Amino acid sequence: MLELRRVYKTFNAGTPNEVRSLRGVTLNIEPGSFVIVIGTNGSGKSTLLNATAGVFTVDSGSIHIDGTDITHWPEHRRASMIGRVFQNPFSGTAPSMTIAENLALAARRGRPRGLGWALTRGMRDEFRDRVRRLNMRLEERLDNPIGSLSGGQRQALTLLMASWLKPKLLLLDEHTAALDPKSADQVIALSEEIVSRDKLTTLMVTHSMQQAANLGDRLVMMHRGEAIHDFQGAEKRRLRPDDLLNRFEEIRRADALDESAADMLRRLYV
Amino acid sequence: MLLLIGALTIGLILSLLTFGVFISFRIFAFPDITADGSVTLGGAVTGVLLVAHVHPLLATAAAFVAGALAGTTTGLLHTRFKINGLLSGILVMTALYSINLHVMGKSNLPLLSERTLASIADEAAVRMMGAQSMNLFGWDVSARDAGVFVVALLAALVIGALLYVFFRTNLGTAMQAAGDNAQMIRALGVNVDTMIVMGLALSNGLIALSGGLLTQYQGFADVQMGIGMVVWGLASIIIGEALVGTRDLGYVICGAVMGSVLFRLIVALALRGGLDPNDLKLVTAVFVFIALVLPNMLQKLRRPAQAGGA
Repeated sequence: MLELRRVYKTFNAGTPNEVRSLRGVTLNIEPGSFVIVIGTNGSGKSTLLNATAGVFTVDSGSIHIDGTDITHWPEHRRASMIGRVFQNPFSGTAPSMTIAENLALAARRGRPRGLGWALTRGMRDEFRDRVRRLNMRLEERLDNPIGSLSGGQRQALTLLMASWLKPKLLLLDEHTAALDPKSADQVIALSEEIVSRDKLTTLMVTHSMQQAANLGDRLVMMHRGEAIHDFQGAEKRRLRPDDLLNRFEEIRRADALDESAADMLRRLYV
Repeated sequence: MLLLIGALTIGLILSLLTFGVFISFRIFAFPDITADGSVTLGGAVTGVLLVAHVHPLLATAAAFVAGALAGTTTGLLHTRFKINGLLSGILVMTALYSINLHVMGKSNLPLLSERTLASIADEAAVRMMGAQSMNLFGWDVSARDAGVFVVALLAALVIGALLYVFFRTNLGTAMQAAGDNAQMIRALGVNVDTMIVMGLALSNGLIALSGGLLTQYQGFADVQMGIGMVVWGLASIIIGEALVGTRDLGYVICGAVMGSVLFRLIVALALRGGLDPNDLKLVTAVFVFIALVLPNMLQKLRRPAQAGGA
């Protein structure tokens, strides 16, 4: 389904701020699987999602969806296959437009937009129906600007919008990190429901070990631009938040070891 | 009465300019000052075609096309060549000055006996009224003034309605979203660059259309006629927003028309009251400055007071 082959990306190459964000990531994701991506800060997990979405073109390597090479497709073209929810709840919706207008925009994701009416009565009925199922009492506020809603409400709507036309791939980029715990739980429950109902192939980045252990059927751990662990099947099901924390501790110790070894060598030889 | 009807007519004609400035400044938050050149371009193109005896409707439509081309150029400079938006507008506006001179062949192009929308409106009004002038609430109104007023009103109403409809279509909403949240609409499959280019084309097309109508109303095109028009449009928008006080599109469009007419009326009264016409642009700029700064200042003044009270 989604296939990344030896993907490299370096930001600010050749400057003091050079960051080697992706260092040969290879990943093959089966159709319908729900993959969790975790990693330390700067490990490249968000970069991985953005590379897939086409926010930038990668330096080398290739990206395929359903066998189609999309490595050089611009972001808006990839949108025909990909639904996205961002970390910032303000990123996924147009604040000065109404809930109904936002949903109507999402209902044409990746399709040509001509001079037909954006909103029809039939669409409004369907919007009201599906928004009601969010249980946020937004169905009576379809004509309110989205900017007047809370972060949790906006994120729930963004999720609804991203999955309105069943995408081949759903990208969730720490989409609950900016929410209060209650809203985060709501949005996570909704994500699970949508992903399992529509059997969406999903890539979800998270900071929460709880979410990482409880959700998904596969877990990829990133570190320094590489996928260092890949848990699948029974192994993934057995994972507990503590196991993941232990793994991070191991990484931290290995890093510290690198540094102390370098220090020692410096003292001896420089 | 003459003053009133003249101010209303010019205000209505310039409401098309206000629509255009609204699209670039408010919908796209793109400070496009191509407008100063597009007004003149529209006037020049219409004027030259009228002198060549092209049908006035066609000559007016040509102004829209010419303006749209100017807007497209600004849009491409910004999106393709990554030139700062303000600078893109400045470049095209500057280039248009020479182009406008070339189009007109001189710096002022009078329309003396040419058939224009104004002369057609005049004839139609004479036919309907059966006289060269009519008595309206005790004032004498010439057929020409009445006819041109009706044409300007129709233009503002029809274009306003078309804009309202356009921004309710799939393309129109995508355009609004591109200005509102580019990241979001890109993720929904819309090429934001294309939207900006199309938006600026529409914006400058309307602005040039306004210039074309203005030329026919005042009976000449002048290479200077566009100077300060962006600020003029902004002032009208600000007044309109204050009048309707909402961001709902239908009201905003009505507000743009009302703001444009009201601003023109204020200006006409000020000129009549003794304002030196040379100071007009200065006063307009100061007005926009105050309108931009005042809300923030009021807020700042209010906040310490609240803190003190708490």
